[in-house]
Amino acid sequence: MSNPSNPCWWVPREVPPAHTLACRIGPLMLDVHHGRGEWQLACSRGAEEDASADASLQLREGGLGADGADRFMVADGDPTLTLIPLLADRPVVIRPRQPLFLPRGEEVTLYLSTPVTVCIRVGAAALRLREVASLILSDTWFGPSSREGELCYSGRTHARIDRSELPRRAHRVVTPVRVRNEADTPLPLEKLSLPVQVLSVYGGADGGLWSEPVSLVRDEASDLAQLQVDEGAPDFAGPVTLLSGPREVRARGSLVRAFNVLFGNAP
Amino acid sequence: MNDVTDVLANETFAMVARAALLFGLGLLLAPLASRMVARFAADRFSAHHVQLMRRLVFYGVMALFLASTLRELGFSLGVLVGAAGVLSVAIGFASQTSASNLISGLFLIGEKPFAVGDVIRVGTTTGEVLSIDSLSVKLRTFDNLFVRIPNETLIKSEVTTLTRYPIRRLDLTLGVAYKEDIDRVRDVLLEVADHNRLCLDEPPPLFIFLGFGDSSLDIQFSVWAARENFLPLRNSITAEIKTAFDAAGIEIPFPHRSLYAGEVTKPFPVTLVDSGERRGD
Repeated sequence: MSNPSNPCWWVPREVPPAHTLACRIGPLMLDVHHGRGEWQLACSRGAEEDASADASLQLREGGLGADGADRFMVADGDPTLTLIPLLADRPVVIRPRQPLFLPRGEEVTLYLSTPVTVCIRVGAAALRLREVASLILSDTWFGPSSREGELCYSGRTHARIDRSELPRRAHRVVTPVRVRNEADTPLPLEKLSLPVQVLSVYGGADGGLWSEPVSLVRDEASDLAQLQVDEGAPDFAGPVTLLSGPREVRARGSLVRAFNVLFGNAP
Repeated sequence: MNDVTDVLANETFAMVARAALLFGLGLLLAPLASRMVARFAADRFSAHHVQLMRRLVFYGVMALFLASTLRELGFSLGVLVGAAGVLSVAIGFASQTSASNLISGLFLIGEKPFAVGDVIRVGTTTGEVLSIDSLSVKLRTFDNLFVRIPNETLIKSEVTTLTRYPIRRLDLTLGVAYKEDIDRVRDVLLEVADHNRLCLDEPPPLFIFLGFGDSSLDIQFSVWAARENFLPLRNSITAEIKTAFDAAGIEIPFPHRSLYAGEVTKPFPVTLVDSGERRGD
């Protein structure tokens, strides 16, 4: 029933009663047991550095050994289990590991990855049991002062600019961010608040997860940036399937945001 | 004679009937008007302001109808108002505290230093605001006690609203032994903050060397957390700092006392006594 070699971990699977599906999605270790009239969940996380890049799902007979499993009473005996990848519910502030600067008139496409949240659904009606983050990100504050701003998650990235260097990881969604600087002064990209809650997740046949590309243009006249979310997955991702929509409805047209709101306080 | 009495009786009856009708109308209209005002204001103002407006409209309408009723009954309103003026002076003297609280309440409503649901600290009392009334503010403390604080006290004293901003800073004061390297201590502390996921990356943790204490190098280490994570961070980070200091061999000293007998005096004579028992230390 389950195929450990299938990289698409989000494909619905059948977990017959008295069976357990052990899922390894990056650092997330999730065990889902289908019991009589109930589902049990147990999850733990390892270090991201030690995690495998591929997901593995193994179906075995028997229950969960761990005492710490949560039980969900579901009368519907349908054995279908669906794991849906979602993006985080708050913006993720991404800091490149090395400082990046964009001089006047230059344009760059950064490939930023953010960890996925797994939504567990069961039965024919796809009842939602729980959302589990594959990686618990640290909180951070993003705004001009401690009074104004918003609470975000903090993530670090290599901010790769070459697509071929991108490692494919089962638990990370890649967002291509095109940044263009039309102002006179160089634009420091020390940190960037990526509004992942307005992005969808697309899955490729090779197991890659993508979101819509985002483009930002810093105007010449002001520090206002136009944040444009393109429709659909990036062209180079190949044939993809829409796995989940945005958590928040984004405003019609482009979002206009102050650049320092997106990039921290530019000097 | 009987006719006169009948007419008088009829007139008196009609007067009383009119007065009763007016009063009844007042009783009917006042709640209606206050409800309409509440419905109109519900989306535009805070719950507390709506409640205040309701009361004002209710008592205002009732006062108008009561005055009309009294006039209908033949009372002279001028005399009544004059009497009320004298009475209000007497009542004012008698209820100074209540009046002061009432007026303080109006200022509190205007100033809006906190709202229902906020957590405030007044003196030594910290609690969640349950209601802001004309005379007092009601709090529920975290040990589940109901505390009533007069509005006058709130106007006069320092009030801290703990839930005004989404993030808070936790200030930890630490002491490390004189032998420790301050840069190393800073690195260890910053690493602890970096690994604690409740601790915000931005604003960055703050490290301040406070000075040379009696027994230790005094340090302030301040970290930021989301408001709701303040207490979990306080508990977790202190334990983590202790563990990290132990692992790094950084000593948190207890107060030391060195006895010095002075330059001119002889050293203290110390004699080792063999008590016959051998101790491990």
